[in-house]
Amino acid sequence: MDQSVLTRRRFLQATGGTALAASLAACGGGGSGGGASTKELSFVYMGTAEQQATWNKLFAKFTEQHPEIKLKAEGIPLSNWGDFFNKLSTRIAGGQVPDVIQIATEGQRLFASKGLLAPLDDYIAKDKATIDEYYGDMDPNLIEWDKKYASTDGKTYYLPGEFNTMCMWYSKDLFAKAGVPEPTARWTWDQFRSACEQIKAKTGAFGYAAGPEYFAAIMPWLLTNGTSSFSEDWSKPTYDDPKVIEAAEFNRKLVADKLSPPPGGTFDATTAAAQGKLAMFGGGRWPIISIRNLKATQKMGIVPWPTKVEQGSPVGWNGYPILKASKKKDDAWTFIKFLISKEGSSTFAQLGGTIVPARKSIANSQSFLEDAPKGTEYLYQALSYATPIPSPDKGAAIQKAIEDGWKQVLTGNAAPADALGKAQTTLEGLV
Amino acid sequence: MFHWDLLSTPEFAGLDNFKQLVTDGATVRAVINTFVFALASVVTHIGIGMLLALGVHRTMTRGTKYFVRTAYFFPFLVSWAAVALIWKYVLDPAFGLANYYLSATTNWLASPTLALPTLIVVDWWHTIGYTFIILLAGLQTVPAQLHEAARVDGANAWWRFWSVTLPVMSPTIFFATVITFIGAFQIFDPMVIMTQGGPDGATRSIVQYTYEKGFQSFEVGYAAALSLVLFVVIMIVTGLQFRLSRRWVHQ
Repeated sequence: MDQSVLTRRRFLQATGGTALAASLAACGGGGSGGGASTKELSFVYMGTAEQQATWNKLFAKFTEQHPEIKLKAEGIPLSNWGDFFNKLSTRIAGGQVPDVIQIATEGQRLFASKGLLAPLDDYIAKDKATIDEYYGDMDPNLIEWDKKYASTDGKTYYLPGEFNTMCMWYSKDLFAKAGVPEPTARWTWDQFRSACEQIKAKTGAFGYAAGPEYFAAIMPWLLTNGTSSFSEDWSKPTYDDPKVIEAAEFNRKLVADKLSPPPGGTFDATTAAAQGKLAMFGGGRWPIISIRNLKATQKMGIVPWPTKVEQGSPVGWNGYPILKASKKKDDAWTFIKFLISKEGSSTFAQLGGTIVPARKSIANSQSFLEDAPKGTEYLYQALSYATPIPSPDKGAAIQKAIEDGWKQVLTGNAAPADALGKAQTTLEGLV
Repeated sequence: MFHWDLLSTPEFAGLDNFKQLVTDGATVRAVINTFVFALASVVTHIGIGMLLALGVHRTMTRGTKYFVRTAYFFPFLVSWAAVALIWKYVLDPAFGLANYYLSATTNWLASPTLALPTLIVVDWWHTIGYTFIILLAGLQTVPAQLHEAARVDGANAWWRFWSVTLPVMSPTIFFATVITFIGAFQIFDPMVIMTQGGPDGATRSIVQYTYEKGFQSFEVGYAAALSLVLFVVIMIVTGLQFRLSRRWVHQ
């Protein structure tokens, strides 16, 4: 008996020792793997398996032009920007510092304010002609927002890149079947609601897929009602504004009257719309991949969001900053210049990226508009009236509070004023 | 002890984080949820797991026995992520199987009263196999001679179960209780995937709240304090179980 206990204990010690050694080795490997000390230029972006192939083609093009720079790109597949930032900050805290990263509006200020990024001003001055040409081909709003929201000290950390705005995608078939005229560029909430009602009555299909997504399903309603989730400088939440409550009530009524599928389920809006079971859903450029896979680009149309007070849309854009700790800053800058070049951006548009190119010339070209629904150009035009998505530092927590409150309203669990008032209190604690 | 946001230098905070624990309503809610979940989990797992084990242990052909044992254990082998996604489809308010067979339109995961019980059921389905196997093993250690002796003494089936089976396998039941409680108290995956802690925090567990605080609000110091609470609670409850076990566990 004693013997067996002894051997078992010794066995545990031995295996424990090996496991410890293995985990130490893993740590060491991880630390240098993505770090600045490697020979390759390391680039980290957020991408799903579907998008990975697209990126790879773009990277191949870059390697063709710059064989001297080895690019080690790594996509982290996560569903929202909040999680992506957490992942990156956890990595950076653990000593894995990539050279270039992709950051959307939701995290730009956070990363700049933590002193992790190298200012780009010197590079911009050096390559002035290139940058001027780039800025000249862009909606001036984007440049201004980038200055205002993506930096806290006046230095430039990001060049604004591709973006997404929100428009309403609709099924042309269902509108025709119900005998409802297709929506126009300036339509109202009332017209939207009556289209939902007629389509439901005549075809049985859902009118719109109401949801609790901050960017895609909450902000468009707030902005078209002349309000927002935060004050203009993102310092104060305004989530209990009567106009926010009005927008939430409008959405709740769509759910209560069964014009929208119940939230919280697994309803797949793009597929349902392609199959004629849903008339409208909100989207930027990203539904294009599923819609193309379903071969439904001709069946769909895109119009600006219906309005109550004024035209509105949230906007979020990508930035490609260089990390301060990077040891290959010049190579990193070469890569960024490639990304914003006409060639880089048109390749990306052609490959079917999920975002709108920042260059006007590319967004209005065939490479972007081909094999896309009628009205795709509205996505770029929305820049002229869009509002950057309010994203204070604790982005993920803020997004969760906003979405949880909205969900409570949509499901009818709580009265709009109570649920949003509660969310407002949480938000006040987070800024 | 510190305020730290992962990126900048930690800053000493003394006992601030612990003070916040008591005043933060969300923490209290998460602790209550987790306790409810863990207690319900222990009761359903041990209770129904025992019935299942007894059922399988009864005379059955070898083949059926193997089949039933595998069937009960199988869900446990599937990862939580897959289980949660499948159940999300089953419970979908518009076209889910659950509502279809019940002819209902219940929004299981979005209702403040039903969400937690629903998760308890899903968790039960997923992990019952483990408890079941432990209990079955315990059941098989009960010597047949004792049963025979009891039968000779004129004890009926119920009495044999109560005075022979239960006492003999009490160490096993005790082990299963401790393990189930610890496992349930650390529950995280189904909440995150199926309800995100909602509606209105009705299903948020301690571990999930720790994650949210640490990696979404970047309050790593507070998250560390929360995980200490988790550790202490598990330690106290397990200690309590060991202490109480002297009264009922047959040595």
